[in-house]
Amino acid sequence: MWLKALLLSFCRWCNSSFFGHGIRDSVWLFPFVEIFHLIGLGVLGGTLLVLNLRLLGLGFRGESASDLEKDVRPWMVGSLALMLGSGFLLFSTEAVKMYGNWAFRWKMIFLASAIVYTFTLYRKVVRSEEGRIATLWRVVVAILSVLLWTGVGLGGRAIAYVTTSASSISISAR
Amino acid sequence: MWLDSFLAWLANTHFSTVMRESTWAEPIVESIHVLTLTLFLGFAVLLDLRLIGVCLVRKRASEVLAQFNPWLFGGFAVMVVTGTLLFSGDPVSFYHTHPPFFKIKMMLLVVAGLNVLIFNLGIGRQVAQWDTRPTTPPAAKAAGIVSIVLWVLIVAAGRAIAYVLPPP
Repeated sequence: MWLKALLLSFCRWCNSSFFGHGIRDSVWLFPFVEIFHLIGLGVLGGTLLVLNLRLLGLGFRGESASDLEKDVRPWMVGSLALMLGSGFLLFSTEAVKMYGNWAFRWKMIFLASAIVYTFTLYRKVVRSEEGRIATLWRVVVAILSVLLWTGVGLGGRAIAYVTTSASSISISAR
Repeated sequence: MWLDSFLAWLANTHFSTVMRESTWAEPIVESIHVLTLTLFLGFAVLLDLRLIGVCLVRKRASEVLAQFNPWLFGGFAVMVVTGTLLFSGDPVSFYHTHPPFFKIKMMLLVVAGLNVLIFNLGIGRQVAQWDTRPTTPPAAKAAGIVSIVLWVLIVAAGRAIAYVLPPP
């Protein structure tokens, strides 16, 4: 299929790019980038949890969800950018391996769904006035957010434990 | 030394063997440890940002502290329990890594605790005086900045441990 071929050639390009190469060849660059990925995880997860706890009515009740969202938005978007940037760098060091890693595929599917969800339906509900959307719907929306992002996180953890046989894909990039 | 014999005793417990040899114990505990960063590290950083005066500034500082505190305690408890479980799987290796990232992490945790203590005994006690101001006093800013730097270093040391442990 043309899409598969395109993805694989993109992975090959990443593998052989100067950053993919550079990080792979360095002893300390990979863990260094990982630290940024983990800090981003903390802040992104933290901002989303604040909003979800508010939607669930479990905390932060002094302020409306829409005001809270305004307060944490720059940190949420910033940490998401940090995660995507650092995540791409980590991916690029073993992109062809990731192409065949089922945990990585699951993570990307969850990630794409979580991002689309967060910036469309989720945002709409968070920004809506209190009382305009039934409590039940706010709870459902919050739970779905937690589930989608947890899927991304678990997928990320699973990548480390899934060993792929690179032999199934011919690697010409290295 | 008593510590070495304690670590050796811990490594020989049935519990430690399960942590070390079970297929699922380590990945599950490790995943909980890492994903609880969202609750603990995320909330700690948001609280620090309020102390610095760059996030949640429309809310009173005392209110932010009160609302974050129970979650921070809960999150920290999960981090300590899961961290202890991971440590108990291979205590001797953890304690004797080169470079000594585990010891560095433990020392940084103590310093982070001292920072919380100093804040609570100092500027944190006078929170009523600067509660509603969007610009926070220098001592509160300092506590927030020191806290963020320490937690970043603690995450870094924690990640580094994985690179110096002997392979399972």
